[in-house]
Amino acid sequence: MKKVYVYKIFERFWHWMQALLIFILLVTGFEIHSTYNLLGFELAIKIHDATAWAFLVLIVFAIFWHFTTGEWRQYIPTTKLLKEQVSYYLTGIFKGAPHPTKKLVYNKFNPLQRMIYLGLKALVIPVQVISGFLYLYFNYPIQGFELGSMYWVAIIHTLGAFVLFAFVIAHVYLTTTAHKPLSAIKAMVTGWEEMDDEEIHEHIVSDIEVALQKTKSQLQSSEGRSDILDSALVEAQKSVGGNAILKDTRFRDAIASTGVGYFCISKEGYYREANDAWINLYKYSSADEIIGQHYKLSRTEEDFAELEVTVNKVLQGKTINHGEVKRICKDGTFGYHTVTIAPVVVKGDVVAFEGFIIDTTDRRIAEKELLKKKLRVEEKLKSKE
Amino acid sequence: MCIIFYTLIMRKLILLSVILSLFSGTLVAQEETEPTELPKIKVNNYTWKTDRVNSAQADHSQFDVLKQEFTSAHDVTEACIYCHTKRDEEIMATSHWNWERTEMLAGKGEVPVGKKNILNNFCIGVAGSEATCTRCHIGYGWKDKSFDFNEPRNIDCLVCHDNSGTYEKGKGMAGYPDPSVNLSYVAQNVGQPQRENCGVCHFWGGGGNNVKHGDMEIALLEPSKKLDVHMAIEGEDMSCVDCHVTEKHQMAGKLYALSSENKNRATCEQCHTEAPHKSKLINDHNMRVACQTCHIPTYAKANSTKMVWDWSTAGVLDDDGKPMHESDADGNHNYLSIKGTFVWDNNVTPEYLWFNGVANHQLITDIIDTIPVQMNSLDGSYNDKGKNQKSINPSKIWPVKVHRGKQIYDTEYKTLIQPKLWSPNAGDSAYWVDFDWNEASAAGMNYLGLPYSGNYDFVETEMYWPLNHMVAPKEEALSCKDCHTRDNGRLASLNDFYLPGRDKNKYLDIFGIAMVVMAAFGVAVHGAIRVFVSKKNNV
Repeated sequence: MKKVYVYKIFERFWHWMQALLIFILLVTGFEIHSTYNLLGFELAIKIHDATAWAFLVLIVFAIFWHFTTGEWRQYIPTTKLLKEQVSYYLTGIFKGAPHPTKKLVYNKFNPLQRMIYLGLKALVIPVQVISGFLYLYFNYPIQGFELGSMYWVAIIHTLGAFVLFAFVIAHVYLTTTAHKPLSAIKAMVTGWEEMDDEEIHEHIVSDIEVALQKTKSQLQSSEGRSDILDSALVEAQKSVGGNAILKDTRFRDAIASTGVGYFCISKEGYYREANDAWINLYKYSSADEIIGQHYKLSRTEEDFAELEVTVNKVLQGKTINHGEVKRICKDGTFGYHTVTIAPVVVKGDVVAFEGFIIDTTDRRIAEKELLKKKLRVEEKLKSKE
Repeated sequence: MCIIFYTLIMRKLILLSVILSLFSGTLVAQEETEPTELPKIKVNNYTWKTDRVNSAQADHSQFDVLKQEFTSAHDVTEACIYCHTKRDEEIMATSHWNWERTEMLAGKGEVPVGKKNILNNFCIGVAGSEATCTRCHIGYGWKDKSFDFNEPRNIDCLVCHDNSGTYEKGKGMAGYPDPSVNLSYVAQNVGQPQRENCGVCHFWGGGGNNVKHGDMEIALLEPSKKLDVHMAIEGEDMSCVDCHVTEKHQMAGKLYALSSENKNRATCEQCHTEAPHKSKLINDHNMRVACQTCHIPTYAKANSTKMVWDWSTAGVLDDDGKPMHESDADGNHNYLSIKGTFVWDNNVTPEYLWFNGVANHQLITDIIDTIPVQMNSLDGSYNDKGKNQKSINPSKIWPVKVHRGKQIYDTEYKTLIQPKLWSPNAGDSAYWVDFDWNEASAAGMNYLGLPYSGNYDFVETEMYWPLNHMVAPKEEALSCKDCHTRDNGRLASLNDFYLPGRDKNKYLDIFGIAMVVMAAFGVAVHGAIRVFVSKKNNV
């Protein structure tokens, strides 16, 4: 078991603040409903009103957060795996079956959660807020506008309260269905969620996919790419061990679309594979021109000697971020890129090495990005065993 | 690295503190509105007792025109008018003088109302019995229809302006002073009306102390703060006219037992404003709840008031053929041969009604169409929000004394009857002397020029008295739960609106509780199975 940073600081603050406010609203609200006497009617109303305002402020912040971070997409409902999720709760969970859905960076909810949370955010809470403020401000004649009767407002507001109450019960219970009964709650407190290796793998792949997409969009205007990708990859591999990430086809597809060069070289030193971006950077016109050639071809002698040291280390199973190297293109001109090299392991033997190259023309941008992103990646992937 | 972590942590802290301060801001702001030391309550148009300067009143004993032996009350009036010119004209425009004013009644148009015309369910009405009733008229000699309302000499200035405490009108003397009164002494000791001047009539209406109002009685002459925060001797020691401000002898304030339009009222708001509380929540209530509702939690706090008057049992005489008096344990009459059976009560919880300041009346000519007959009805409802309605103000919840009665009516014409009640002589058809309803009815209706079929019975009646006096100390004002409570609250019978804390939808509550219980039950069962299965697997 390892921990992965899943819930960001605002997200956790928002969640617990919302929990607290809903708790206060329920306690005071049902007192106003005359279900019991606890604080006294007037105090209950005053607290209920102040809490309502606090909730409104929180909602404004939460809306801002959801849209600026794109987290709102987490709530788009889906029927994919919905049946599986339902049947997991009805039967699978008792047999110790695995969760049918994994927590991914941009898909951290299961389809039931998506549906229920969307219902809360888009229906129940807005209804409560609107009916609550009608209750608060249109209960008496106001110049120009007044509700004919508070009856329906009160009925709807009360119904919403019951729905929230029932939700809280189910929600709190379902937190116990994570790896350990308290791990979901711990995760919501600390931000770090316990995951098994497979889940971590999925989560990290999804994170890198997202990072790549972001980087691509951020650096769209420039041909250069920052070494964010390098460091993301290195760190990702460290945290899961081995080269599972690089083998992932989804990841390779994502890479292919970013303009990052990919290569695979046999342990003897012959090119086995190169993607379009690699071919472009080396100014070849097709992969055929290079497959089967020794990588010596595109190095100066000094560089080759230096690189060979690195390659030997890789062949012993290490993943190495070599840093900047000079390349000799087909037409004899030089170019610069960074390179990350990782071993390709089959049945315990290193049979080849592969890696990515990223053009370093826009070095300044890359460095800046590196500084920014590295922080985030470090934070995210730091193992907390 | 250190710097990086430092900036990272700082960023989080700043975010957290910004957001937290926003929330704490809303809570702190609530508390800031409460000052630590309470100032005197905020009032307008009022001079505090401690700030009052005794405005010197003229020493009337120095005036030559008053230094004479008055043998006639009329001469005193003439002496008053000698200096206070034109005041007689002011007086003659008031309802204290005319006992009549023309007001709009819903469905009936402009109608002369007032004490002269309107029936009640106490002593019923003035007509035919003026000589005794007009003991409370500010005039001399109104014994029958021949009274001249345009004669200034008929005005009784002294009943209101006597400051000597020795003036008294005679019994059955049509408003003339008792022969024992030293008119010269009284005339030389006049001044602003004191609470005794008002109280002599307004406390004693209906033939005894606190019979009618329930919130106005002799205990107000020297009340404690607990009885009346305004008039308490130890407190602000306010007199009647401090609230019932007067211009050209027109007193502010009116009684809905006799009038109907929403005008010329004496209100709490004229001093206390519409937002006297620190809490906006409470101030908002004033839009639909009269101040009196919370601040007059009970009435008849010192002496009992009459709650029921059943005329139908009247007329039982003792073995000697003499009228009987029976009293209850508190010393209040519960049976009088001349008037029937009474029920008295003290510390009474008011009934609560919507009221928009407009009343209606059962006129003597009106056909009885509701039982109990609504002697006066207070207009209003939750849905009367004051726009395009009879009143410009929304109806408010108002505390009301409801006086229930049973009184004589014409079974054929279906109208109320004005019997002749009083006469100094036997054989004059007066019920209180001769105990013959038929004769009294015939005489009374004949006096008014109205038909009487000769057939009578008694019908239940209700009369509504909005409460205004005997405001309790604020500690005794109603609290939220007096009304906002599920069962048996003060407003339990005012059912035309949704009142939070009182009302609920029964089915919604059942549904909601079922949903919550099912959720709890569901997770309990689900959890139990999980625990059971995992234990089995571990073993």
